[in-house]
Amino acid sequence: MGLEVVKKFDSDKGEWIVKPIGEVDIYTSADFKNILLKLIEEENTNINIVGTSLDYIDSTGLGVLISVLKQMKEGNTSIIITDIKPSIKKLLELTSLDKVFTIKE
Amino acid sequence: MADKINLTISSKKEDTAEYMSVIRLTTSAVASKIGFDIEEIDDIKVSIGEACTNIIKHGLNEGIDSFDIEYNIYTDKLIISVKDNGSGFDTSKIKEPNIDNNIDQLDDSGLGIFIIKSLMDQVEINSSSEHGTEIIMTKIKIA
Repeated sequence: MGLEVVKKFDSDKGEWIVKPIGEVDIYTSADFKNILLKLIEEENTNINIVGTSLDYIDSTGLGVLISVLKQMKEGNTSIIITDIKPSIKKLLELTSLDKVFTIKE
Repeated sequence: MADKINLTISSKKEDTAEYMSVIRLTTSAVASKIGFDIEEIDDIKVSIGEACTNIIKHGLNEGIDSFDIEYNIYTDKLIISVKDNGSGFDTSKIKEPNIDNNIDQLDDSGLGIFIIKSLMDQVEINSSSEHGTEIIMTKIKIA
């Protein structure tokens, strides 16, 4: 099934909007990481991950978000996750990562 | 007597990860047949994903490119075993993820096993250098 990532810079809010479509797992997480790292290299602003089409994320995918957030820390920017599916929200709560990332409805 | 379904994933290590979505879809179908609800099916799907990811990351060595999944199907529960023939690991070294809002301390190690233990009702991990690693996990259907 794989993963497609739609990304654009929202100049009004001054943040990246990233929409992953599909699944972030051990197969797709390296690509996902490269995409996010390239974005913060270009412009280290907040990244807003829109979860409406994210069907699945596993611990490798969560690891990508953790490692990208670590890189962003110098710029004092953060990762915001919006409109996530209930199963993924459960995973973020279970791992307490909901306190590390900003989760918005 | 439980019904059984066996899957053997045999591929080059670098290609194995491509079959993850096949494994998750198969697992969802088996869980659905038993009558688990959508949330339980998601729990099982995430857990099999983490178990296989763990094996792909740590269990498959040079020359060892296959692992087995066995589904034991009961009317009221599903027992899934994921087994490799790799060199095993020290299960006492499995650590709880360190999440205390301090991202410097944060990493993803131990996250997968922690997730499986949280989502499944029983989890057993056997690992030895002779017999490889086996993760056996049970989900009980709440009637």
